[in-house]
Amino acid sequence: MRKALRWKAWPIIALSAAVALAVPVIAHDGYVIQLLNIAILNAIVVIGLNFATGWAGQINFGQAAFYGLGAYTTAIATKAGLPWIVTPFLSVIVVVVASLILGLPTMRLRTYYLAMTTIGFGEIIRLMIVHWEPVTGGTSGLRAIPGISIFGIGPQGQIQHYYLLIATLGLAVLIALRVRNSVLGRAMIATKDSEIAAEQSGVDTTRTKLLAFMIGAIYAGLAGCLYASSIRFISPDSFSGTQAILLMTMLIIGGMGSIAGCVVGAVALTILPEALRFLGQWYLVLYGLGVVAVIVLAPGGLASLASQVQPRRARLR
Amino acid sequence: MQAIIGPNGSGKTTLLNALSGASHADAGSIRIGGNEIFRLKPHRIARLGLARTFQTIRIFDNLSVIENVKVAAGCNMPTSLFNIIASNARQRQSEAAIDRNSREALEIVGLAGRANDHATQLPYAQQRLLEIARALASKPNVLLLDEPAAGMNMTESMTLLNTIARLKSSGITILLVEHNVRLVMGISDRVTVLDFGKKIAEGAPSEVQRNLLVIEAYLGRRHRHA
Amino acid sequence: MGQLVVNGLALGSIYALVALGLLLIFNTVQIVNFAQGQLLMLGAFIGISCAVTHELPVAAAWAITMVAMALVGIVFMVLVYFPLRGRPAFLVILTTIAMGIVLENLALIVWGPLPVSLPSPIHGPPLRFAGVVVSMHQIFIFVTLAVILLLQFFFLTKTRFGILMQATAQDLHTARLVGIPVNRTIAVAFAFGAVLSGIAGLLVAPIFLAEPTMGGSLGLKGFVVSVIGGFGNLPGAVIGGLFLGLIETFGARYISSNFRDAYAFVVMIAVLVAWPRGLFGEKSSEKV
Repeated sequence: MRKALRWKAWPIIALSAAVALAVPVIAHDGYVIQLLNIAILNAIVVIGLNFATGWAGQINFGQAAFYGLGAYTTAIATKAGLPWIVTPFLSVIVVVVASLILGLPTMRLRTYYLAMTTIGFGEIIRLMIVHWEPVTGGTSGLRAIPGISIFGIGPQGQIQHYYLLIATLGLAVLIALRVRNSVLGRAMIATKDSEIAAEQSGVDTTRTKLLAFMIGAIYAGLAGCLYASSIRFISPDSFSGTQAILLMTMLIIGGMGSIAGCVVGAVALTILPEALRFLGQWYLVLYGLGVVAVIVLAPGGLASLASQVQPRRARLR
Repeated sequence: MQAIIGPNGSGKTTLLNALSGASHADAGSIRIGGNEIFRLKPHRIARLGLARTFQTIRIFDNLSVIENVKVAAGCNMPTSLFNIIASNARQRQSEAAIDRNSREALEIVGLAGRANDHATQLPYAQQRLLEIARALASKPNVLLLDEPAAGMNMTESMTLLNTIARLKSSGITILLVEHNVRLVMGISDRVTVLDFGKKIAEGAPSEVQRNLLVIEAYLGRRHRHA
Repeated sequence: MGQLVVNGLALGSIYALVALGLLLIFNTVQIVNFAQGQLLMLGAFIGISCAVTHELPVAAAWAITMVAMALVGIVFMVLVYFPLRGRPAFLVILTTIAMGIVLENLALIVWGPLPVSLPSPIHGPPLRFAGVVVSMHQIFIFVTLAVILLLQFFFLTKTRFGILMQATAQDLHTARLVGIPVNRTIAVAFAFGAVLSGIAGLLVAPIFLAEPTMGGSLGLKGFVVSVIGGFGNLPGAVIGGLFLGLIETFGARYISSNFRDAYAFVVMIAVLVAWPRGLFGEKSSEKV
């Protein structure tokens, strides 16, 4: 069964769920709720990133581009009058095609080549978005994007969006867990740990890496779709190379390979810049130094620190 | 059980690499049970029934002991992504079968008690056993063992070789590459000796032991290895 | 069209310099420094601080910048190389990216976001021939690149320390065992690598204005050039740099100037797909 969830984890999960559900009751500020909504969306994207990078070991700076592709596809489609229900499917199609275009030629590349290629891919997508002004609104982005609406019903207001997004996050986590405890999940981790041994054990490592990449892209694309429909405003800045780096650091700080770590990292690094806004430009300086510090001192991220504190706690790896 | 012995550098591991697809072979033909496997990708060869262990331990550090074994156990049980996400009956059946096969393999090498431990928690000798369990889990027809006793003390080596000898009775063809001649002689049916990449002797252990070329290869060297 | 060639080659020379600095570090310690572009930016701004803010003669600004960059290189080594020895490449990449972020934002704090200009050390009327205008600065760029290549070649192959550096680059572990002062050679590699990028910055600033965010794209172009030429391959990097400069200049003129930055990536991806080891082959290859 779910080996990753030993019975001792249930109280912690229940507690987290209770806290998550109680938040809108405690914090009434719409701005805070919107920030949390963005954090939840980022968490879904980072869980997606975890498949390819945390588990399969493929460095991927293109995740922000997939996020953006999903968002822009949805925004353009709904503004063009298409019913919302179509947009998740459209986003997935666009993102799958893009991930194949990027993934197929690059799965064999080594680490720094893969890093550069994915950065390059992200840049090309961003440039395409920025310069296709009539459709994408260029650098100003798109406003007044229609919201989620299925047969005329949809969440109204930040709080309802919050609950919807929490539910979506739950689904994202569940699927990730199922993948982890399947042939595919084990194959991904085996590929990262020793590609040769994995191959000799019957794992098609190229196909595994590509699948991890694609699933991750789908997560990002769907998150982008929800982003466009919940936040209702998008611009190329939210999906730039800087964002790609940010997503990667969320993964690292939370703990690569740990699903819970993805969520923690995403929430932490979405809230932190807002909470530390008074630092101005110094925030980014400290952020950079912080990343270096985490990598040097605790490369397993917060998840590894947590598992040292409570060695019997089930790691949602 | 066929053993391949030879001094260091004679090409034993290279041979295994060529057989299992890890290295590129220039020419020739390799067949398993009539199926040509030459130049196939390693994972295909593995799915056709060839499994191997490595000279330097290559276990999966980020998986538990049983998960290590499950990687190989699942090699011939393709599951679709849909089944995985839906976690339907088919998926659960498949996982149950993988779990069974994996535990069996762990039983054979005596690691069943440590199934849920992190692979890195195992001591060296048991990690070697884990590699063997993993190789067994794919239910191979041919098992290539590359110096499985390397780095073990006498007791551990004996236990290991007894385990391997027991495997013979299960019908698997075993190709054992070993550096230590004495360990090998008792359990092998046939021995091939390599030197500088060439076969210099082949036959029953007793014949090979008396072969002059073999003795010279092991003892008579005055010059350095290439 | 000849004008495009000249401009392209001048631009390409700068890219080549960035790549040389990058490869110097990579060849020695197998680290790809994703902050190389920010080092370029730092060099430009130190030069600007000296020459513009403090109104020192440009030659002095150059000298001070080179010394300062050497020190920065060593600090960089201490912060990045020593703590991360033996860690997976992926984490090192992230660390250098983070350092780049730190440098960029420190620059924004110190010098502000507005673009600034730096005068060239060379003055004089541009050369004109065959309908092509070559500015004094462009000639200076070519000369500087040539001088640096010669000096580097001479240093690495003819001097004792240079040969030690090559040894360290080929096999660090054995070099240490044999008694080569490995830490010193690594320090020199980092210092030199930073200086090369600093010089590139001093050369770029008079053409395109300098601003703290300039490092990102220039650094990436440096990697692209390294990939095109074959990672680790120094002559390949130079040729790759010139090649990229030409492609970018021609592309911007004949295809579209909006996608100027994208040409580099397209070329890189094309090269990687067709020649996974670069046009001239990599220096070091890993065991599978």
